[in-house]
Amino acid sequence: MTDHQPSPNPPGVEHSADERFCAAALPRIRNFMLILGPVLCVAAWVTFGLRSALGFLLGCVIAYLNFQWLKSGVSGLADRVTNTGKPQSSKGIVARFLLRYVLLGVAAYAILTSFPASLRGLFAGLFLPVGAIVCEAFYELYAAFRRDGSGQD
Amino acid sequence: MRQLSRLFMILSALCFAMPAFAQGGGTSEASWIAITAGFSMAIASAVCGLAQGKAVAAATESLARNPAARPGIQFALILGLVLIESLALYTLAIIFLKVK
Repeated sequence: MTDHQPSPNPPGVEHSADERFCAAALPRIRNFMLILGPVLCVAAWVTFGLRSALGFLLGCVIAYLNFQWLKSGVSGLADRVTNTGKPQSSKGIVARFLLRYVLLGVAAYAILTSFPASLRGLFAGLFLPVGAIVCEAFYELYAAFRRDGSGQD
Repeated sequence: MRQLSRLFMILSALCFAMPAFAQGGGTSEASWIAITAGFSMAIASAVCGLAQGKAVAAATESLARNPAARPGIQFALILGLVLIESLALYTLAIIFLKVK
Protein backbone atom coordinates (compact mmCIF):
# COMPACT_ATOMS: atom_id res chain seq x y z
CA MET A 1 0.00 0.00 0.00
CA THR A 2 1.40 3.30 -0.98
CA ASP A 3 0.39 6.51 0.71
CA HIS A 4 1.17 9.20 -1.78
CA GLN A 5 0.58 12.67 -0.42
CA PRO A 6 -0.42 15.09 -3.15
CA SER A 7 2.18 17.82 -3.53
CA PRO A 8 0.94 21.39 -3.15
CA ASN A 9 2.55 22.24 -6.50
CA PRO A 10 2.61 20.03 -9.55
CA PRO A 11 6.09 18.54 -9.97
CA GLY A 12 6.60 20.09 -13.40
CA VAL A 13 5.86 23.60 -12.15
CA GLU A 14 8.21 23.26 -9.16
CA HIS A 15 10.98 21.97 -11.41
CA SER A 16 10.64 24.83 -13.86
CA ALA A 17 10.72 27.40 -11.04
CA ASP A 18 13.96 25.85 -9.77
CA GLU A 19 15.37 25.87 -13.28
CA ARG A 20 14.44 29.51 -13.71
CA PHE A 21 16.12 30.34 -10.40
CA CYS A 22 19.23 28.42 -11.50
CA ALA A 23 19.30 30.10 -14.90
CA ALA A 24 19.03 33.54 -13.29
CA ALA A 25 21.93 32.82 -10.92
CA LEU A 26 24.70 33.46 -13.46
CA PRO A 27 23.38 36.88 -14.53
CA ARG A 28 22.97 37.69 -10.82
CA ILE A 29 26.62 36.75 -10.17
CA ARG A 30 27.65 38.96 -13.09
CA ASN A 31 25.60 41.83 -11.63
CA PHE A 32 27.15 41.29 -8.21
CA MET A 33 30.58 41.50 -9.87
CA LEU A 34 29.62 44.72 -11.64
CA ILE A 35 28.44 46.23 -8.35
CA LEU A 36 31.22 44.90 -6.10
CA GLY A 37 34.07 45.87 -8.46
CA PRO A 38 33.60 49.67 -8.51
CA VAL A 39 32.54 49.81 -4.84
CA LEU A 40 35.62 47.91 -3.64
CA CYS A 41 37.81 49.87 -6.05
CA VAL A 42 36.73 53.14 -4.48
CA ALA A 43 37.27 51.61 -1.03
CA ALA A 44 40.79 50.54 -2.08
CA TRP A 45 41.51 54.03 -3.39
CA VAL A 46 40.43 55.61 -0.11
CA THR A 47 42.24 53.07 2.06
CA PHE A 48 45.41 52.10 0.17
CA GLY A 49 45.93 54.80 -2.46
CA LEU A 50 45.67 55.21 -6.21
CA ARG A 51 48.18 52.58 -7.31
CA SER A 52 46.57 49.82 -5.30
CA ALA A 53 43.15 50.90 -6.58
CA LEU A 54 44.40 50.77 -10.18
CA GLY A 55 45.86 47.32 -9.59
CA PHE A 56 42.60 46.22 -8.01
CA LEU A 57 40.64 47.62 -10.98
CA LEU A 58 42.86 45.74 -13.42
CA GLY A 59 42.39 42.57 -11.38
CA CYS A 60 38.63 43.08 -11.43
CA VAL A 61 38.64 43.57 -15.22
CA ILE A 62 40.73 40.43 -15.73
CA ALA A 63 38.49 38.44 -13.36
CA TYR A 64 35.35 39.67 -15.13
CA LEU A 65 36.73 38.81 -18.59
CA ASN A 66 37.94 35.46 -17.26
CA PHE A 67 34.48 34.70 -15.90
CA GLN A 68 32.74 35.71 -19.13
CA TRP A 69 35.10 33.61 -21.25
CA LEU A 70 34.72 30.68 -18.89
CA LYS A 71 30.95 30.99 -19.20
CA SER A 72 31.05 31.12 -22.98
CA GLY A 73 33.55 28.25 -23.07
CA VAL A 74 31.32 26.07 -20.88
CA SER A 75 28.30 27.05 -22.97
CA GLY A 76 30.15 26.05 -26.15
CA LEU A 77 31.16 22.77 -24.54
CA ALA A 78 27.54 22.09 -23.52
CA ASP A 79 26.35 22.94 -27.05
CA ARG A 80 28.89 20.52 -28.43
CA VAL A 81 27.90 17.72 -26.03
CA THR A 82 24.16 18.11 -26.48
CA ASN A 83 24.38 18.89 -30.23
CA THR A 84 22.35 22.05 -29.84
CA GLY A 85 22.98 25.65 -30.85
CA LYS A 86 25.60 26.78 -33.29
CA PRO A 87 28.21 24.05 -33.77
CA GLN A 88 31.67 25.19 -32.63
CA SER A 89 35.02 23.62 -33.30
CA SER A 90 36.62 21.79 -30.40
CA LYS A 91 39.89 23.62 -31.12
CA GLY A 92 38.13 26.95 -30.64
CA ILE A 93 36.68 25.86 -27.31
CA VAL A 94 40.08 24.66 -26.05
CA ALA A 95 41.78 27.81 -27.38
CA ARG A 96 39.26 29.97 -25.52
CA PHE A 97 39.93 28.04 -22.30
CA LEU A 98 43.70 28.48 -22.69
CA LEU A 99 43.51 32.12 -23.79
CA ARG A 100 42.20 33.02 -20.35
CA TYR A 101 45.41 31.88 -18.71
CA VAL A 102 47.49 33.75 -21.33
CA LEU A 103 45.56 36.95 -20.55
CA LEU A 104 46.07 36.46 -16.82
CA GLY A 105 49.79 35.80 -17.24
CA VAL A 106 50.39 38.75 -19.57
CA ALA A 107 48.54 41.17 -17.28
CA ALA A 108 50.36 39.92 -14.19
CA TYR A 109 53.73 40.16 -15.98
CA ALA A 110 52.96 43.66 -17.28
CA ILE A 111 51.93 44.95 -13.88
CA LEU A 112 54.85 43.17 -12.15
CA THR A 113 57.39 44.84 -14.44
CA SER A 114 55.78 48.28 -14.59
CA PHE A 115 54.05 48.85 -11.21
CA PRO A 116 55.23 46.27 -8.65
CA ALA A 117 53.51 48.22 -5.84
CA SER A 118 50.04 47.49 -7.22
CA LEU A 119 50.49 43.74 -7.57
CA ARG A 120 48.72 43.11 -4.26
CA GLY A 121 45.74 45.05 -5.55
CA LEU A 122 45.77 42.93 -8.70
CA PHE A 123 45.70 39.73 -6.66
CA ALA A 124 42.85 41.08 -4.55
CA GLY A 125 40.92 42.03 -7.69
CA LEU A 126 41.28 38.53 -9.09
CA PHE A 127 39.07 37.28 -6.25
CA LEU A 128 36.10 39.35 -7.42
CA PRO A 129 34.15 36.29 -8.70
CA VAL A 130 34.58 34.61 -5.31
CA GLY A 131 33.07 37.66 -3.62
CA ALA A 132 30.23 37.69 -6.12
CA ILE A 133 29.59 33.96 -5.51
CA VAL A 134 29.52 34.57 -1.75
CA CYS A 135 26.95 37.35 -2.32
CA GLU A 136 24.94 34.96 -4.50
CA ALA A 137 25.10 32.30 -1.79
CA PHE A 138 23.72 34.75 0.76
CA TYR A 139 21.00 35.79 -1.70
CA GLU A 140 20.04 32.15 -2.30
CA LEU A 141 19.95 31.56 1.46
CA TYR A 142 17.68 34.57 1.83
CA ALA A 143 15.47 33.37 -1.04
CA ALA A 144 15.26 29.89 0.50
CA PHE A 145 14.22 31.31 3.88
CA ARG A 146 11.63 33.50 2.17
CA ARG A 147 10.25 30.52 0.22
CA ASP A 148 10.09 28.43 3.39
CA GLY A 149 8.35 31.27 5.22
CA SER A 150 5.75 31.71 2.48
CA GLY A 151 5.29 27.92 2.25
CA GLN A 152 4.50 27.63 5.98
CA ASP A 153 1.95 30.46 5.90
CA MET B 1 52.23 5.73 -22.25
CA ARG B 2 54.40 4.13 -19.60
CA GLN B 3 57.56 5.19 -21.42
CA LEU B 4 56.20 8.71 -21.69
CA SER B 5 55.54 8.89 -17.96
CA ARG B 6 59.06 7.59 -17.28
CA LEU B 7 60.47 10.25 -19.59
CA PHE B 8 58.54 12.96 -17.74
CA MET B 9 59.78 11.63 -14.40
CA ILE B 10 63.40 11.74 -15.59
CA LEU B 11 62.94 15.24 -16.99
CA SER B 12 61.42 16.48 -13.75
CA ALA B 13 64.29 14.93 -11.79
CA LEU B 14 66.76 16.72 -14.06
CA CYS B 15 64.96 20.00 -13.46
CA PHE B 16 65.62 19.62 -9.76
CA ALA B 17 69.18 18.36 -10.23
CA MET B 18 70.53 21.35 -12.12
CA PRO B 19 69.76 24.10 -9.60
CA ALA B 20 70.75 21.79 -6.75
CA PHE B 21 74.22 21.26 -8.17
CA ALA B 22 74.56 24.91 -9.11
CA GLN B 23 74.48 26.01 -5.50
CA GLY B 24 77.91 26.32 -4.00
CA GLY B 25 77.86 26.52 -0.20
CA GLY B 26 75.08 25.96 2.30
CA THR B 27 71.51 26.68 1.26
CA SER B 28 70.14 29.86 2.72
CA GLU B 29 66.66 30.35 4.08
CA ALA B 30 65.60 32.34 1.01
CA SER B 31 66.36 29.49 -1.35
CA TRP B 32 64.33 27.08 0.81
CA ILE B 33 61.41 29.50 0.69
CA ALA B 34 61.70 29.62 -3.10
CA ILE B 35 61.88 25.83 -3.35
CA THR B 36 58.87 25.26 -1.11
CA ALA B 37 56.96 28.01 -2.93
CA GLY B 38 57.64 26.28 -6.23
CA PHE B 39 56.56 22.92 -4.80
CA SER B 40 53.37 24.31 -3.30
CA MET B 41 52.41 26.10 -6.50
CA ALA B 42 53.15 22.97 -8.52
CA ILE B 43 51.05 20.80 -6.18
CA ALA B 44 48.20 23.32 -6.15
CA SER B 45 48.22 23.65 -9.94
CA ALA B 46 48.35 19.91 -10.46
CA VAL B 47 45.52 19.17 -8.04
CA CYS B 48 43.40 22.03 -9.36
CA GLY B 49 43.99 20.83 -12.92
CA LEU B 50 42.95 17.31 -11.94
CA ALA B 51 39.88 18.62 -10.16
CA GLN B 52 38.86 20.77 -13.12
CA GLY B 53 39.33 17.85 -15.48
CA LYS B 54 37.23 15.63 -13.24
CA ALA B 55 34.51 18.28 -12.94
CA VAL B 56 34.35 18.83 -16.69
CA ALA B 57 34.34 15.10 -17.38
CA ALA B 58 31.50 14.49 -14.92
CA ALA B 59 29.51 17.44 -16.26
CA THR B 60 29.87 16.42 -19.91
CA GLU B 61 28.90 12.86 -19.03
CA SER B 62 25.83 14.10 -17.16
CA LEU B 63 24.92 16.42 -20.04
CA ALA B 64 25.22 13.60 -22.54
CA ARG B 65 23.01 11.38 -20.37
CA ASN B 66 20.43 14.03 -19.57
CA PRO B 67 20.49 17.06 -21.89
CA ALA B 68 17.30 18.41 -20.28
CA ALA B 69 19.20 19.12 -17.07
CA ARG B 70 21.55 21.47 -18.88
CA PRO B 71 20.89 24.74 -16.93
CA GLY B 72 21.60 23.18 -13.55
CA ILE B 73 24.65 21.23 -14.70
CA GLN B 74 26.09 24.22 -16.55
CA PHE B 75 25.61 26.48 -13.54
CA ALA B 76 27.21 23.96 -11.20
CA LEU B 77 30.12 23.44 -13.59
CA ILE B 78 30.83 27.17 -13.96
CA LEU B 79 30.61 27.67 -10.21
CA GLY B 80 32.88 24.69 -9.58
CA LEU B 81 35.47 25.78 -12.13
CA VAL B 82 35.57 29.33 -10.72
CA LEU B 83 36.00 28.08 -7.17
CA ILE B 84 38.69 25.57 -8.17
CA GLU B 85 40.58 28.29 -10.04
CA SER B 86 40.31 30.55 -7.05
CA LEU B 87 42.02 27.88 -4.92
CA ALA B 88 45.05 28.03 -7.23
CA LEU B 89 44.91 31.81 -7.01
CA TYR B 90 44.85 31.62 -3.20
CA THR B 91 48.05 29.57 -3.32
CA LEU B 92 49.65 32.05 -5.71
CA ALA B 93 48.68 34.99 -3.50
CA ILE B 94 50.01 33.30 -0.35
CA ILE B 95 53.27 32.42 -2.12
CA PHE B 96 53.59 35.98 -3.35
CA LEU B 97 53.05 37.36 0.13
CA LYS B 98 55.54 34.93 1.67
CA VAL B 99 58.29 35.14 -0.97
CA LYS B 100 58.12 38.90 -1.52
